[in-house]
Amino acid sequence: MTLGQSNNQDLNRYHQSKEQIFNESQIIDEARKDPGRFGILYEKYYRQIFVFVFRRTGDEDIAGDIVSDAFLKAMVALPKFEFKGLPFSAWLFRIALNEVNMYYRKSSRERVVSIEQTNISDMIAEAGGEKESEENRQLVMRLLATLTSEEMQFMELRFFEKRAFAEIGEILGMTENNAKVRTYRIIDKLKKVLDKTST
Amino acid sequence: MSGYKFNIDPRPPKEDKIAEHRDFGRVMHNYQRMTNPLYLTPLYRYRKVFLSLLLVLVVAFLIAEYADEQKQEQKNLKQDSIERADSIAKRIKQDQGPQGR
Repeated sequence: MTLGQSNNQDLNRYHQSKEQIFNESQIIDEARKDPGRFGILYEKYYRQIFVFVFRRTGDEDIAGDIVSDAFLKAMVALPKFEFKGLPFSAWLFRIALNEVNMYYRKSSRERVVSIEQTNISDMIAEAGGEKESEENRQLVMRLLATLTSEEMQFMELRFFEKRAFAEIGEILGMTENNAKVRTYRIIDKLKKVLDKTST
Repeated sequence: MSGYKFNIDPRPPKEDKIAEHRDFGRVMHNYQRMTNPLYLTPLYRYRKVFLSLLLVLVVAFLIAEYADEQKQEQKNLKQDSIERADSIAKRIKQDQGPQGR
């Protein structure tokens, strides 16, 4: 694969064309000079960020407050934002995730994890589980409950939200490769437990 | 205890709630307050604050002036009464002087 092909793949990865991402970078430049222009990005990504935070809080009002704080921090930190050819949304997701983590550090609430039934099936399949039984589902749930909050973030981003490793890396502040390795390490952990129970 | 609350097949957020929280004006206002704190902004930019502060200063000056005047007046009165008492005492002394002799 050539460098250009690899770059094109990255650019198309989050369902945005090269042109769209370039236009976005122009809006970012304008917003650096005139903060009012940030409104375009706010309107474009508000819903996505809201849903992202809502999945982790399970409450619209809490999500609303966190999202407002996240956008405010993004506006303040915009001069430091470096355009790397990736969508601006990944940077926003990173800020929103930091805000969610801060919220849980400050409050004594239990961390909310939103899972669709199909996500559990996908995890069992990824871990090489032979059959998708109720027993296996229960086991996966029990295993998920033992994960650290950092490990859970990988599971949420990869299996519950179906994000690309490049995006996961960008959100969690690491390389694509590192994100992949860390995710599969958790899957290996899951696989070992599933293997043990099946034998 | 795991510390997680698993929401299996969660409902999507309500659209009216999303719309309720979507307010760029508020974010912009907070941004301006954060990046241009009051102590860094010239006071004349806030007309109402500037005028009310000016009014408070003028009233405070007038009260101080009035209080000062009152104090001075009282001081003068005191001085006058002392002087008057002194002159009366002197006059009495002068009147009693030849009789005593």
